[in-house]
Amino acid sequence: MDKLERIYAKSRDLVEREIEGEIIIVPLTSGIGDLEDELFSLNKVGKDVWARIDGKKRLFEIVEELKEIYEVDREKLMTDILGFLAELEKRKLVVEEVGCQVT
Amino acid sequence: MSGYLEELKLPDFHLWKRTEEKRIPLSAEIELTERCNNNCIHCYINLPANDQEARERELSFEEIREIVDEAVEMGCLWWLISGGEPLLREDFTDIYLYLKKKGLLVSVFTNATLVTPELVKLFKRYSPRDLEITVYGVTRKTYERVTRTPGSFEAFERGINLLQEENVPFTLKAMALRSNAGELESIKDFCNTITKNHFRFDPFLHLRLRPNHKRNRQIKNERLSPEEIVAIELSDEDRKNGLLKQMCEEKKIGQETVHFDDDNQLFYCGAGRTSFAIDSYGFFKLCSSLSHPDCVYDLRKGSLRKAWEKFVPQIRAMRTEDEECRKRCLSCPLINLCMWCPATAYLECGKLDKWIEDFCQIAHARAQGLANIQ
Repeated sequence: MDKLERIYAKSRDLVEREIEGEIIIVPLTSGIGDLEDELFSLNKVGKDVWARIDGKKRLFEIVEELKEIYEVDREKLMTDILGFLAELEKRKLVVEEVGCQVT
Repeated sequence: MSGYLEELKLPDFHLWKRTEEKRIPLSAEIELTERCNNNCIHCYINLPANDQEARERELSFEEIREIVDEAVEMGCLWWLISGGEPLLREDFTDIYLYLKKKGLLVSVFTNATLVTPELVKLFKRYSPRDLEITVYGVTRKTYERVTRTPGSFEAFERGINLLQEENVPFTLKAMALRSNAGELESIKDFCNTITKNHFRFDPFLHLRLRPNHKRNRQIKNERLSPEEIVAIELSDEDRKNGLLKQMCEEKKIGQETVHFDDDNQLFYCGAGRTSFAIDSYGFFKLCSSLSHPDCVYDLRKGSLRKAWEKFVPQIRAMRTEDEECRKRCLSCPLINLCMWCPATAYLECGKLDKWIEDFCQIAHARAQGLANIQ
């Protein structure tokens, strides 16, 4: 299946905070984004992707929306967003909504 | 890692500087209760566990929720739960979970004697940022000489074991006092063994937050001499390096480390800059030690926002006309090595701006000790 057809939702086991424009992802339960002496920081594009992860949008929709905003090469944006989602998934900060895939 | 997501070490996080510039209350402490199941000889706050009057005056869960909601709206991120012994509160789990679900990084200070399998499950699933346990001794005799509570050592061991069995991380710290000084090396070994070479101790014993002559006399008797304090500090590598760093920072007075506008300004410390404390009864304080009646604000009659935006600047603007305080404390090049501050001065003598001889002796002994090893 095309990875861009995937839909992701933010984990229910985290709390998202915004302080002074900074997104801070606070793990609620153990095993989610476990950090000891670190915190996650999202850059501007990261924040824009994160804001669009809502359990409804397909990745290609996110890519298209951000392409309009940033006017960057589609392929490059796609690769970066897929890489970003892979990292978020590895850290259990997002989950794939498997029931919503188009096959 | 993609450029979109960055993992930053806490001290490098760019948010801190911005919050300081904008005076965001990033960090809070709440004393859930002044009651404690131990009766430590050196304690600055404890009341008996069954003190009904204290219990009835304590903030309710509902009141705590309102304060927390306001704090989170204002940008609070770190939240320390302390006491007394916070696990004495029957609604501890509700309060703890509420803080976690609001997206706060929650730390808990406890003596571990009331840790139950249920609490271990809670901490295992919803990890605290830090669970900090105080070690008063590593033998029953010493531990209970400090806590003055029969059975407390066994309860402490049981609590620690329960946490270890379920791999719940925690850190240990010790108070260094007359009653356990002979065992401090063993306490250090115990802490280093259990928490992978992490040992922290505090040799400064505060006097009672609420004046009590008898208890204050006991606390003073438990204080180590300046020479003893310096000897144990310099025998600990981490502590020694920390002090050396502090001494170097003396040179920055007036620039970064402390924030003098002029030498009449009483509050040179960070209290109320990005942090605050709340006592068990809903009184807002710039820091947990600052208990002067003019420096506390009743949240039951106001709001956290008003306390932060109106009350704190008034307190931080306080000046002193006391010549001795200005010359001997506020202008002192050793101020970073001294435990003097308006809060501790008030506890010692009932005034915010008095020079305290005992503190001065410790600061000078520290400076001398550090100079000798440099």
